[in-house]
Amino acid sequence: MVSSLKNWLWPVVGIVSLLVLWHAAVVVFQVKTFVAPSPLAVVAALWTNRWLLLNNLYPTALEAISGFALGNTVAVLLATLFIHSQTLRRMYFPAVVIFNTIPIIALSPILILIFGLTVTSKVIIAAIICLFPTLVNMIRGFEAVSASELELMRIMAASRREVFFRLRLPRSLPFLFSALRIASTTCVIGAIVSEWIGARDGIGVLIIQSTFEYRTEVLYASIVTSSALALTLFGIVALVEAAAVRWRTN
Amino acid sequence: MAHSAFSLHELGVTFGLADRSVVAFRDVSLEAEAGQFIVLIGPSGCGKSTLLRTIGDLLPASLGLVSVFGTEPRSARMERKISFVFQDATLLPWRTVLQNVQLPLQVGGWRKTGRPNRSPEDMIALVGLSGRENAYPRELSGGQRQRVSIARALVTNPDILLMDEPFGALDEITRDRLNEELLRIWREIGTTIVFVTHGLSEAAFLGEKVVVMSANPGRIMQVVDLTERKPGNRIDRSSAEFFEIASELRTILHRAYGEA
Repeated sequence: MVSSLKNWLWPVVGIVSLLVLWHAAVVVFQVKTFVAPSPLAVVAALWTNRWLLLNNLYPTALEAISGFALGNTVAVLLATLFIHSQTLRRMYFPAVVIFNTIPIIALSPILILIFGLTVTSKVIIAAIICLFPTLVNMIRGFEAVSASELELMRIMAASRREVFFRLRLPRSLPFLFSALRIASTTCVIGAIVSEWIGARDGIGVLIIQSTFEYRTEVLYASIVTSSALALTLFGIVALVEAAAVRWRTN
Repeated sequence: MAHSAFSLHELGVTFGLADRSVVAFRDVSLEAEAGQFIVLIGPSGCGKSTLLRTIGDLLPASLGLVSVFGTEPRSARMERKISFVFQDATLLPWRTVLQNVQLPLQVGGWRKTGRPNRSPEDMIALVGLSGRENAYPRELSGGQRQRVSIARALVTNPDILLMDEPFGALDEITRDRLNEELLRIWREIGTTIVFVTHGLSEAAFLGEKVVVMSANPGRIMQVVDLTERKPGNRIDRSSAEFFEIASELRTILHRAYGEA
């Protein structure tokens, strides 16, 4: 209990000190609210705009979480395929790498042209942004088996299926979760970026609108909301990880 | 004449392609009776681990013939007659002691073989780890982990147990104790054991038949039969006879290293 309090104390002190510094800068330099609001103004905006923010959080969260599920599922399936067929891997892994070099901001209009201003295009963007880190990590995870582990499975006459489910999959879990931690925050970024390009609602839309209307405190409140979403997803992944890979911790 | 456990005839293993190939060993001919305790010893590069893997069908033979209980190594392996103990215990860290020992019964079509298995709990007791069934590998010492891996190898009641320097990474006292326990277990279950080591006193203590190999290329240098000098494969480590056997092996090994 005491140690967990200590673990929380320093990050909280750090963040509070930065907020105090921010507030002081706004007061001392007499910064106008439409240029940069003080943290207190942001908190006030969070409260007064709570329904606006929540109504726009819902589509963004839906897109981000669906994209997270889709992107990571495809990544795990692709990794499974690639470790079982060297030929497929040599054929398509370079294509995946090239695809990954396309800026997400350029991919967004392409998908909107195909799927229109629907949720689908946002989900796909969020999925694509999750896919690559998870794919690379999962291939590494599936291959993180030792020579003697493979020999052990062979001496027991284990089938490829058994080698996969009894050895490679559990071995890869720590790798999967480090990829999911990354994906839990990037999927939110993917959803927001795709909303910028074209959407009717969502935190991304709110960011664009409040910027154009010089409602800077709403812009900041939107950013806080999207961060809260990403942190929540990150926290859920961390909790699931702690339960799933208990064998790894001491 | 007892039943043959395995028989090697002019066996050879070569790695790599023709022009850049490396001979692991060649011209190895050896017979082992069922229930025997065979020790393979020699300098590194003599191919003793490779030879063990060829018997267990983990590596293919390049030349010659291997037969394990009258069949090809592959059939013996698929019929689950062979168990292997590695230098590192190779326990799955997400499984408890009991779950690790149960693993061989959960894969490789164990039920279809129709072979009777030994009880995992009994095997854990046999290696002296009763009460630790629910411990995870990280909670065990190196010696305890190797005990678990021996229990796992024995749960399928194998006809032949192949051991690749299983105690090589342990300290000397732990190794001495595990050697004594291994002999006790071997007497109790009566399986054939092929044990690879580079430890001289380990070889002298454990082996009924000590096969000394030399390197470049790997081959059998001499086979020392100790069955008559160690009745019941029992010997006191502080006896004069033990020192005599050890010094004899030492002389042969010096020659083996000299040629390497």
